[in-house]
Amino acid sequence: MLNLGARSLQTQQQGVEVAGHNLANASNPAYSRQRLEIQASTPLSTSIGPVGTGADAVAIRQLRDTLLDQQIQGETSVISFLQSQQTALQYAEAGIGEQLQGAGSTGDVGSPGGLASDLSGLFNAFQDMSTAPSSMTGRQAVISQAQQLTTQFNQLDQRITSINGQLNQSVQTDVGSANQLLSDIAGLNHQIAGAEAGTGAANDLRDLRQQKIESLSQLVNVQVSTDAVGGASLSIGGQLLVSGGTVQDTLETYDSGGGQLLVRTAGAGIPLTPAGGSIAGTIDARDGALKSLHDGLNTLATQIISQVNTAYRAGYDLNGNTGADFFTGTNASDMGVNAALVNDPASLQASGVAGAAGDNQVVLALGQMANAAQAGLGNQTFAQSYNGTITGLGTALASVNTQLDDEQSVQSMLQTQRNSVSGVSVDEEMTNLVMFQRAFQASAHLVSVVDQMLGIVVSLGQ
Amino acid sequence: MNRLQNQAATGKRISQLDDDPSVMRQVLDLQTQDSQIAQYRKNIASLQTLANSTYNAMSGLQTISARAGEIATLANGARSPQELTAYAIEVNQLIQQGVQLMNSSGQGGHIFGGTQTTQPPFVATTDADGNVTGVTYQGNESVPAAEIAAGAPVSVQTPGANTSGSGPTGLITDSRNGADFFNHLIALQNHLRAGDTASISSADIPALAKDEDNITSQIAQNGLIQSHLSVADSLASTQSLSVKQTISENSDADLAQTLTQLSATQTAYQVALQSGAKLLSQSQSLLNYLT
Repeated sequence: MLNLGARSLQTQQQGVEVAGHNLANASNPAYSRQRLEIQASTPLSTSIGPVGTGADAVAIRQLRDTLLDQQIQGETSVISFLQSQQTALQYAEAGIGEQLQGAGSTGDVGSPGGLASDLSGLFNAFQDMSTAPSSMTGRQAVISQAQQLTTQFNQLDQRITSINGQLNQSVQTDVGSANQLLSDIAGLNHQIAGAEAGTGAANDLRDLRQQKIESLSQLVNVQVSTDAVGGASLSIGGQLLVSGGTVQDTLETYDSGGGQLLVRTAGAGIPLTPAGGSIAGTIDARDGALKSLHDGLNTLATQIISQVNTAYRAGYDLNGNTGADFFTGTNASDMGVNAALVNDPASLQASGVAGAAGDNQVVLALGQMANAAQAGLGNQTFAQSYNGTITGLGTALASVNTQLDDEQSVQSMLQTQRNSVSGVSVDEEMTNLVMFQRAFQASAHLVSVVDQMLGIVVSLGQ
Repeated sequence: MNRLQNQAATGKRISQLDDDPSVMRQVLDLQTQDSQIAQYRKNIASLQTLANSTYNAMSGLQTISARAGEIATLANGARSPQELTAYAIEVNQLIQQGVQLMNSSGQGGHIFGGTQTTQPPFVATTDADGNVTGVTYQGNESVPAAEIAAGAPVSVQTPGANTSGSGPTGLITDSRNGADFFNHLIALQNHLRAGDTASISSADIPALAKDEDNITSQIAQNGLIQSHLSVADSLASTQSLSVKQTISENSDADLAQTLTQLSATQTAYQVALQSGAKLLSQSQSLLNYLT
């Protein structure tokens, strides 16, 4: 019976330890609370039937809902996917910089100094010049507006290219982090297998591994499956990356052309297209909305250059010269104004015939081009094409914003649920602590009672 | 709450691309249209100035033509040779005045030379005594047009002379209606100097009548064009107002609504903060009750 008392003391002590462990980890977000499982020990058979022999602590069990874990993992990937897209598109929106001006604006188009404003300014300048084609003021106004427009195109192109570079950089960094997490998880698998080789579950290591898996889910969508020895196997897109304690394969980036990075497995070189996580989100934004923006801008620039130049070459300047170009360059990045024009406004070919300085046919045609539907732009005018391109980006961003709001509310519901299952309630642990403490006191009292009784029995023989 | 504060501060319901992309697109297109309308009004103003200058010159020409006709009528057989010579000198001066008027300039150069604006349209050649012997036209017959609305080019200029038989009517000379003002004036001058009153009444008076008709009809046309411009301008002004209104309807924030929403959101925020603070300060837990 002393043995019973001793074992009881041990059991209650373990209970106190578990309660204490829970309390210590009350603010650890990755921790799930643990419970001591106590069972009655094997009864002894006696002449009056089986007699109980006290209690034993058989296991320390973790309270965790694996289904919730999987759902949260999935949600994390989705949210990360949307957040990385949102960030990328917000950079692009800031780069474009078109905002509607507040009350009191004086007929600006978009932001003053923005591309929409410069585009409309150039064609207005052509119109203005058509009323006085030989006037130097009008000519200089046209040239200066044209320069503003080309500079704006160049800058916008540069900003988009730089955002593209940033996105590629972030893919590279994320792949590095993902590889680090893969090796961490493999290491934890090994440790868990070792710790669980005997009996019991390695609860804290499992918590840590789950946290790492969730961090990995933020970067890339993984499929997790547990094997016989409690290790978590990770695969992405059907490619096995971690199995047991070994990392079968890692991720690497590769250049898919033009410096655009995509992801593939390092060993087998199989390209991966994950459906969630920030890596996929960044790639999606880069190759989707950002690329559409860049292409739209380049197409517009190319069309403006070619249409204006075609009409312009037929004109005659004040000295009777013809055939020169108005714009130089081929797309948004290298678009410029003919240097000869900048130096000498008289060389602006406004007239339709040689020798008649008052003739304005070419500059009138250029002014009228603002309202002409361009076949190369899907039968839109230049301004309509630009407005369509940038609001395309706006639509993509607005859609991501809405989706993200939805997903975030789902995520917070899931996390509340998880907290209710696995979170530590200080009150509950305090109660358990008190319970184990009293049980310990009672068991100690049992030992002293048995000791007293044995003392009486021993002193009987005296 | 940030979004509402922004809306209240700028007065705009949508200001960024992602606030409401389809409406944003409409608004940008409308703003482009508005900017174009403003430019057309500028064009109209330029053309009105030009039309005015043209009218002033034509009006001066009409005065000259009236005086020349008067002289031609007065120069009948009852006049003495001295009077005729005096008339001849006056006609000479009238011709020179006419040439000067026809060489007036506007913002873009000479206005009566067609599209030939760099050199004076009319050049008078004089003999040793200072009498005008001939006037040559150095301009051409094409006139520039400018747009007053999309696809509506308008020209307010008249070429000084048009002998080609097609195109805008020349002010001084036109082969279709027989006007040839300067030459007829020179003929009148020569006849006066020669004392040839018979030719004056048989040839010069009808000729000058044709010239006067031409000038009068040109002035009438100028008046029509000016009123056309003024109508176009008020139309553009109405259009611009309507476009601005549509822009405002689509993109401006209803201040009353925005401020009400902002105030409600702020109150809710304050309530949340206060209840949070209460919960934290009264933190009830088992610990308060143990020992």
